[in-house]
Formats: sequence, C-alpha cells, structure tokens
Amino acid sequence: MALVSADTKIAELLNELHQLIKQTQEERSRSEHNLLNIQKTHERMQTENKTSPYYRTKLRGLYTTAKADAEAECGILRRALDKIAEIKSLLEERRIAARMAGVYSDTDPPRKTMRRGVLMTLLQQSAMTLPLWIGKPGESPPPLCGAIPASSDYVAKQGDKVAARVKAVDGDEQWILAEVVSYNHSTNKYEVDDIDEEGKERHTLSRRRIIPLPQWKANPETDPEALFSKDQLVLALYPQTTCFYRALIHTPPHRPQDDYSVLFEDTSYADGYSPPLNVAQRYVVACKENKKK
Amino acid sequence: MSELKDCPPLKYYDFKPVDHVKVCPRYTAVLSRSEDDGIGIEELDTLQLELETLLSSASRRLRALEEQRQILTDWQDKKGDKRFLKLGKDPDLAASSRHSKPKKQKLDGKGSHGPGPGPGRPKSKNIQTKVQDFEFEVDPQDIPRNPKNDAPNRFWASVEPYCADITNEEIRVLEELLKPPDDEAEYYKIPALGKHYSQRWAQEDLLEEQREGARASDKKKSMMGPLSELDAKDVDALLKKSESQHEPPEDGCPFGPLTQRLLQALVEENIISPMEDSPIPDIPGKDDGAGTSPRSQGKAFSVPHTRSLEARIREELVSQGLLDSDERQGVGGESEDEVLAELQKRQAELKALTAHNRSRKQELLKLAREEMRKQELRQRVRVADNEVMEAFRRIMAARQKKRTPTKKEKDQAWKALKERESILKLLDG
Repeated sequence: MALVSADTKIAELLNELHQLIKQTQEERSRSEHNLLNIQKTHERMQTENKTSPYYRTKLRGLYTTAKADAEAECGILRRALDKIAEIKSLLEERRIAARMAGVYSDTDPPRKTMRRGVLMTLLQQSAMTLPLWIGKPGESPPPLCGAIPASSDYVAKQGDKVAARVKAVDGDEQWILAEVVSYNHSTNKYEVDDIDEEGKERHTLSRRRIIPLPQWKANPETDPEALFSKDQLVLALYPQTTCFYRALIHTPPHRPQDDYSVLFEDTSYADGYSPPLNVAQRYVVACKENKKK
Repeated sequence: MSELKDCPPLKYYDFKPVDHVKVCPRYTAVLSRSEDDGIGIEELDTLQLELETLLSSASRRLRALEEQRQILTDWQDKKGDKRFLKLGKDPDLAASSRHSKPKKQKLDGKGSHGPGPGPGRPKSKNIQTKVQDFEFEVDPQDIPRNPKNDAPNRFWASVEPYCADITNEEIRVLEELLKPPDDEAEYYKIPALGKHYSQRWAQEDLLEEQREGARASDKKKSMMGPLSELDAKDVDALLKKSESQHEPPEDGCPFGPLTQRLLQALVEENIISPMEDSPIPDIPGKDDGAGTSPRSQGKAFSVPHTRSLEARIREELVSQGLLDSDERQGVGGESEDEVLAELQKRQAELKALTAHNRSRKQELLKLAREEMRKQELRQRVRVADNEVMEAFRRIMAARQKKRTPTKKEKDQAWKALKERESILKLLDG
C-alpha cells in the first residue's frame, strides 16, 4: 500500500525531473548565444589591444546579461538536483520500510548475507552519488560537507551512514561502517546496524562512539577549505572492507569526482605506512582519538 | 596611452559553456527522449553526476562574470587610479572535466581598489595553491584588527592592591610600625639653657680685649706676666663678681622695675634721672671688690631696702589684682620663655599625635588579624564549595545513567553540604 503510492510518487517526480532537464537545456542554449557574443568582443578587444569606453560598456552589458543567464541556469540545475535528491530519499525510505516489514515477517530475511562484491559496489556507488556541494557565491559549506564537522548538537537521522566504534567479541575496538536505526534522546544513545550484516545484532552506542559520515562532497575548485589537507590524521575506510582505520592524507582530490589518496597506518610496512590508496570523500572522517591500538 | 597603462586587468575568460554532448551523455540522451519514455530510476545516479558538473561550471562562470563586471564598474568609476590589483587568470572556465590542465595563477579578488573598495565584491573562490606571478600594486592592508579592549585589564590591575588578600608580610610591617621609635625620648627633652648669649659674648669680648692687650703689651714689652695670666678663669670671676653686685637693674638703678614704674606713674618730673645717671657701669677692670661704692653712696636708700621695697610693692599690687602673680622666669627676659613655651607646645602636640597614631595602628593590626582569620575561613569555604560541586556532579552522572545514586554518594553529598554550612556559620559569627 505504502509502497505502491511511493511508486507513483516516484514516477511523478521522475517526470518533473525530465521537465526540469529540458528546461535547463533551453536555458543553456539561450545563454550560449550571449556567451558567444562575449567571446567575440573579447577577441576583438584583444586583437585591437585597446579598451575604449565603448567596448567597456558593451562588455559590461554583456556580462550583466550573461550573469543573469548563468544565475537562471544555476537555479534550474539546482532544482533538478533537488528533485533527484527527493527521489532518492523516497527510494531510501522505501528500502527501509521494506526492510522493517521484512524483519517482522520471519519468512524471508532480506538480503541477509550479501555477496562481498555486491556490497562493495553498493558502497562505491553510494560514495559516487554523494551530492556535491555547490554553494552560491558567498555561501560557505555547511557542516557535514567534506571535512567540515557536524555541529555539536547534531543527531544522525535514521538511515544515515556513520562510523561506529564497537567492541568486537575479543575485546578489540574497531570503527565500522554502520547505518543509524534510531536515537534515544533520554539516554543519548544510538542504535546502529553494521552495514555488512543487516538483521544481525544491532549495537547500542553512546554519541561519543559515533561519527556521522559527510553528506556532501566538497568541491575542490570552489571550497578547498572543506577538504582535509595533506598529512592530516583521519579515519578512512580501507578499500574492499567495511572498517575504518587511521590514515594520513597523501593528496586531497583535485576534481569533484576524485578520491583522497591516503596512507594507512600499517606496521607491516617499513616506514609504518601503506602505499597511497584511494578512498572516496564519503568515507574519510576526522580522527579525534589518541593512539589506542 | 594612459588608457593603455590604466587598462584594467580584465581577464578575457573563455566563457564557453560545457559541451554537454561530450561530457554529459546521459543528460543528452534524456534530452532527446520524449515525455513518455521518461527517466529510469537507475539513471538517476549518472544524471546526478552530470548535473552536478553542469552546475559547477555554471557557478564558476557566474562568479567570474560577476567579478569582471565589478572590475569594469570600478574602473569606470575610478578612472586613472593606478592602484589595481593584477588578477591572475582563472583556471579555465570551460568544462573542467575536459581541461585538466588549468592555467594556474592566483586570483585575488580581495583588495583595496583605491580609496573605496567596490561594495559587495564576491571573493573569488579560486584557489590554486601555487602562487605564480602575483603582483600587488597595493599594499595589502589588513583590516585593522579590533583594537584590543585593554581598559578592563588596566582597571582590574589598578584595583588589585586594594582587593588583594592580606598576607603575613603586611601584618609584620604593621607590627614594626607599632614599635616605638628609639629617638622618641629625645624629642621630649628640654635641653638645658646653657649660658646666656650676653654673658657668653661678654666673656668672649673680655677675652678678646685681654688678648689684644697682651699682644699690645707684648709688642711694647717682652714681659706681661701678671696680666697675661689673666685668663678666662679670672675673667669669669671678674664678671661674676661684677654681676653679683648688679641685680636686675643693669642700667644702674637699684630699684626693682615695679618700683620704678610706680614712681614714674606718681612722679611727674624726672627725679629718678640723677639716680639713673650716677651709677656708671664699671664692669671691666675694677679689681676693687666694692664696685658699687660710688652708686650706693650717692643714694638715700640702701640696697637691701630697695629689694624689700620691690617685693612689698609687688605683693601689694598682686593682692590688689593689678598684677598677675605668675613670675616671669629666667634671667634674661622674654625671649627664652617664648622659645621654651613653643618647644613645650610642640612637644605636647607630638605626644598627642603619637598617641593617636599608635591607637590607629593598633586598631589596624587588630582588623588585619581578624581579616586574615576570615580569609582562611573563606578559603575553606571555597574548598567545601568544590566538594559540593563534585558530589553534585556525581549524583547527576548517576541520574543520567538512570540509576539512583548510591548511599555512599548521598552521604558524601550531605557531608559536603554540612561542612560548608558550618564554615559559613563560622564566617558570619
């Protein structure tokens, strides 16, 4: 019932998205004309090597129109992206609802043991599709964008991915990738599920043991301050695993889709660090603890 | 030509839009689809990425446009102003995904464009960290840091000596002050009068004359034995003798001053004058013991009588109330009395002041000791406060962990509270 209505909603949204995309293209083709004009004027000015007032005013006018166009284009693009985010959240809700329903019916445990490869692909995809933060001019990146930490009273929502410090059976503490199930305000504790094994025991942990993963990627071209810098100590997800380990940043990403290149602390190597490995922005968080095994 | 020089550092950006056909295939595909086909859910991710790329380039274009426009506007407003920042080239505004090698130069959007900076200039978010040729023609004045507000610090520093705790050091200083000074006794001494200056001078004069005489006779004769023996001792004896025979009436009159005044008042004519004239002071030189003979002989009254007469007149005057009975003391007159009087007055004042100071210092010492005791108590109160806070925190933690505080914790809390109460009572009491 709920699932069906969700489907129709999704279909609706997809339609809207289609519209928006079409609009975007219209906008862009319109503004293209203007941009060409600017191009021509530039060329002329450069060849003649003279900036007469005539040119300047003309250029200024062109710039203003181009600016308006660009703003409009940005607006539409943002709406399109928001629409996509909306669809995605609906899908996510659907998934969680399905899972809950599945839990209550014992018959078919939902995707209990996923194959490793499948899990990894999922993780990869999730990292890739993390929305990129593109701020308007003058806006600064919000908390949980790239390296910007969450505000101190932030509570992770259901379905958020977090890094959780759990005590393994043998007493070892490890940071694992987990998904938030619920938060108990009176005790200030989270209930989280290990992403690897859904349906298995869930951990109840205090807030100190939970680090929310970033919800936006930081754009290196516009917001470099929201990225971790070289040699910063972080917790990064080891490739092909679901655990976080301490690492040093080797190189931050250059383009929005790039990954961090990090050096994991590894005593099996001579200098104590592994060779540089790539980890997506989504799976790199600040490391606050002091050296504890 | 000046125009050329003042040419604004316009960057001729490559405002080419993203070639979506190449860079955003999915996007293009979607575009070409009709309404009915719609978008599949699985395409969402790729679409998202592509749209993000487009948006990213569009925003950058937007920012660059804004900047350039601003430069133009500013330049127009301030033509001829040489202070322009040279801007670096923005890395390629064209599709970033295509051009991976950006032309790097730092773009500095901030700056003082002459006197009035262009309002609302968006800072270029361009960040290539490698700084290339980068010329500042303008001295990059930092926004003057807010002048540190120093006043409260200075105020508290100045008030500090008044509010600080009293230390043992200070108590000791007070005690020191209270000790009576050694030289106090000296101030109360009334030094002996010593020889009156007239006598001293007379003595000295006599000596001087004798010496001169000796020298003179020395010049004439070689021997002046008996005279030269006239040294100070003899001179003194001489003087004393002559003095003893001269009672108060130094100018020769044997009658006391009161007698003289009385008679003067009664008698019109200057009958006394011959009497005054006759006695010729013959202080120096007379070896004869009866130095008063010429005077006394010419008198009708005998010397002892004048004295008793003086005394009787005095008595009478005092009984009549015409004269105060207090005698002027001291030989030699008023001047000494005044000095003495002054001296005594000052001594009395000193005594009073010292007494007053002592009492004040003692009071201060008492208060200081009291305050020290209180300080100690206050210190203990502070410690007790901390204990109470600690107990409170423990109980709160217990409560948070959803368990009731143990008996031990409760006891601790109560103990801390009671202790604090008792100390406070002590303080107030």
